[in-house]
Amino acid sequence: MKHYLDLIKISAKQHRKQNRMTRLCIVLAVFLVTVIFGMADMEMRSQYIQAVKTDGGWHAAFVMDEEQGALLGERPEVKEIARYGALNYNLEGGYQIKGVETGICGFDKEFQEMLPDAEILEGTFPETAGEIALNENAMDRLGMQIGGKVSMTTPQGDARQYQITGIAKNTALTAELDAFCVFLNTDGFLALSPEGTGAAREMLYYVEFRKFCNIQKAIGEIRTQFELEDAQVRQNTKVLMLMLQTRDSYLLSFYLLAGILAVLVMIAGIFMITASMNSSIARRTEFFGMMRCLGATGKQVVRFVRKEALSWCKEAIPAGVAAGVAVTWALCGMLRFLSPGLFDGLPVLGISWLGAAAGILMGLVTVLLAARSPAKRAGAVSPLTAVSGNAGTVHAAKRAAHTRLFKVDMALGIHHASGSKKNFFLVAGSFAFSIVLFLSFGTLIDFMHHAVTPLRASAPDIAVNVGSEEMNRIPAEFAEDLEEYPGVKRIFRKGYAYLTMPADGKDVVLISYDERQLRMAEDTMVEGKLSEVLDGKGVFSVFLEERTLACGSNILVTAGGKERKIHVSGIIESVPDVLNPSVDTLICSEKMFRELTGEKGFASLDIQLEKDVTDTQVQEIRKAVGQVCGEDYDFSDKRMRNQEVRGAYFSMSVFLYGFLAVIALIAFFNIINCIGMSVSARMREYGAMRAIGMSVGQLIRMVTGETLTYTVFGVIFGYLAGLPLNRFMFRTLVTNRWGEAWSLPGWEMVVIVFVMLASVCLAVLNPARQIKRMTVVETISRE
Amino acid sequence: MEILRVENLSKVYGAGEARVEALKQVSFTMERGEFGAVVGVSGSGKSTLLNCIGGLDFADQGKVFLSGRDLFAMGENERTVFRRQNIGFIFQSFHLIQELDVEQNIMFPLLLDYKKPDQERVDEILEVLGLKNRRKHLPGQLSGGQQQRVAIGRALITHPALVLADEPTGNLDSQSSQDVMELLCKASRHYQQTVLMITHNMNLTASADRVFQVSDGKLSELGGVCK
Repeated sequence: MKHYLDLIKISAKQHRKQNRMTRLCIVLAVFLVTVIFGMADMEMRSQYIQAVKTDGGWHAAFVMDEEQGALLGERPEVKEIARYGALNYNLEGGYQIKGVETGICGFDKEFQEMLPDAEILEGTFPETAGEIALNENAMDRLGMQIGGKVSMTTPQGDARQYQITGIAKNTALTAELDAFCVFLNTDGFLALSPEGTGAAREMLYYVEFRKFCNIQKAIGEIRTQFELEDAQVRQNTKVLMLMLQTRDSYLLSFYLLAGILAVLVMIAGIFMITASMNSSIARRTEFFGMMRCLGATGKQVVRFVRKEALSWCKEAIPAGVAAGVAVTWALCGMLRFLSPGLFDGLPVLGISWLGAAAGILMGLVTVLLAARSPAKRAGAVSPLTAVSGNAGTVHAAKRAAHTRLFKVDMALGIHHASGSKKNFFLVAGSFAFSIVLFLSFGTLIDFMHHAVTPLRASAPDIAVNVGSEEMNRIPAEFAEDLEEYPGVKRIFRKGYAYLTMPADGKDVVLISYDERQLRMAEDTMVEGKLSEVLDGKGVFSVFLEERTLACGSNILVTAGGKERKIHVSGIIESVPDVLNPSVDTLICSEKMFRELTGEKGFASLDIQLEKDVTDTQVQEIRKAVGQVCGEDYDFSDKRMRNQEVRGAYFSMSVFLYGFLAVIALIAFFNIINCIGMSVSARMREYGAMRAIGMSVGQLIRMVTGETLTYTVFGVIFGYLAGLPLNRFMFRTLVTNRWGEAWSLPGWEMVVIVFVMLASVCLAVLNPARQIKRMTVVETISRE
Repeated sequence: MEILRVENLSKVYGAGEARVEALKQVSFTMERGEFGAVVGVSGSGKSTLLNCIGGLDFADQGKVFLSGRDLFAMGENERTVFRRQNIGFIFQSFHLIQELDVEQNIMFPLLLDYKKPDQERVDEILEVLGLKNRRKHLPGQLSGGQQQRVAIGRALITHPALVLADEPTGNLDSQSSQDVMELLCKASRHYQQTVLMITHNMNLTASADRVFQVSDGKLSELGGVCK
């Protein structure tokens, strides 16, 4: 031992067990921050990966002519630039291949790197103006091969011949619209564009900026330089948002809230470590008094405490970061497992440097901040404290416990919690803080439910709709046969019919649902009875904001030339099958539909597919549908769109629920930690109580009383502070955007009470074990 | 009437070179109302003896009978309840409960039985202890002597068969020590309590009926000083 500070190592060895709690607090705080920032980082990465997959990796696009485009490419911040143009986007312009409307995209080869949808699956990108790439849908339906020739007619009546060089990927949009889409290179595209149109003169120049470039500033400069109008500039908002490169005020307010929440989490960590260190210092008052007795100055004691705190960081911070990284890995692994196609790009064993850095920084800053007041307190210990034998953590009480109101064990427990106002508010306040965090983050779940709509249970992978000429021409037997096809999981069939109400001559749409769909619709039922609809005695009326046919009412309709009375048995929320929101929509059973309309077939099939369905199986389904429905039908493949929705919902759910779980963990560990420390500090007193005759059960009841007091008041304070914040955040995030009014967050409040009660039970477990193991003689003669 | 019987009590701490025989075959009995004092140098085994008799610690061998009940044959919970109803403890450092006032501290063993304390008995003890006008004071508001008096009150409130006092005057000035000794004598004479006290101070044994000496774990009786 060469220096008095070397005593820290010796003391650490001696007091390893006592300091375990403080080290655990640091580990926990660092772990939580690492996980929070790591998860946020991974969520941003996964959202970025998805955004790039769906929207592309370009940052901005400018409508400009060739000369301006060349100048733009010379700008130093531009990493990649590519021209892009589209024709017949609405599939109504008259560009057709074998009579099918065809969307045309023309772009430079470099554009493929900016937009995964522009990828060529097989073959090569068209190099010359006479070459073309067709999407998978067109290739399959036309039965074409790479190297073959295809003819495309233009609105002007020309027929242009192209050689097929490659197969382009089906995009979510082309799959859903069942559309043909072709890729040309820019020369081919310009050659096809009608002379004198905008498409011929100006193209969209897609730009990817270099790393660390201030994109908004660059866009501003480009606009000024080329005098571009608002309509001539496009931004890849989602990608820019995820790169923190946006000026959208709504998104900025979102960042602000995220920042506030991150700071709140940090404060929670600081609370936890400070409380733990205070307790550790208080337990060693005699030791610091002895140091002062032996000649250490107050400053030297302060230095001792600070150095000691930092020495804990040596082990605790790496442990916390390691645990945080491990949990982040597990979460990333889970995302990849849940939605492999979408999260392939997410690294399973990737390290979130942001999370690790935040954890390390948080650990050091917190420990240094947290050590300030305990260090001062230790430095101020009088040498007399050590020699007088009055050192200890149990301070003289200021008032007596209420043994008349409660049994003595419970009264003492309540008094232990509430005896010192400062300590009571600190501990109950720290519990309340976790509740405030939970209620604040809880609003993000509401935000998610509005921003990212989950897939309905009845959402189809493939929707087949027949044309309006003869609506219900899909035979029931075919729908049943199709359900047996390989790859088909289930089919929801629907019949559509227009009826008129003779009272005012207005139309009403009648849709038939099968039994499964009706039962699923019950989830969205606002009022009424499902059984009546199932039995064919009534119909559901779909909710309309302006007017809804009232539940319980009877309406008169003309169907099949006859007037029929229909009973409205219930009202359901809006369904996606509503054809026209201004027309009343009624939903009935198949039996009732047949009785009213006389129609036995269906107008629409919503097909849900098995997970492992192959494209060949889908093609078989399409063929079968084509044979039955003829030419006039829509075959909408929604699998990609569904996967995107599902993926976005999954990742956001994992992220947000993970956050809530972390906050619940903060509360949980905080309660366990606080009670553990309080019990450790009072062990000597408990020993004396045991000697006098207090039983183990009574001591445990006392600790339970103390824990419950902190928890009950923590919950009350938490609700008092958290609910207004919840209301504010709900209004900012949800009401302002979607108009939904705030209501009391019932489930969050129930979860809080549940987590708090579970924490109380677990918080008492360890002290109970400690008390059971306690040797009375050793405990009262110790210290 | 025999209250306490200690039979062949032996206790060993540690093993090998660190092995210490704290008690060696200690046997003795005490009658109702007797005041015994145990003397001996530090580490002689006095406190171990007291802790074993009080059921706070276990002996490796031997038995302790209090009012005919074998302490070591009882389960943990039973022994705890038996202890609070039949043994009063007085410690050198008082061990009062800081959150309870004087009256509550005295009533504490009764409160642990969830019984309503007999107020007359509490008043009587407060009167005897000279703490009647301090009944609502908290321990932190009392002097050391007063705190030890409260501890004596707490030890006596249940009419225990045996009062065990471990250096009850160790932290007190001479006047307070004298007061405490008078109270213990009074408890023995007036309330017919059996009292066993550990002390370093030979002068305090003057009040005792019997004086025991513990030396290297062995107990010997030095004979009574006063009756």
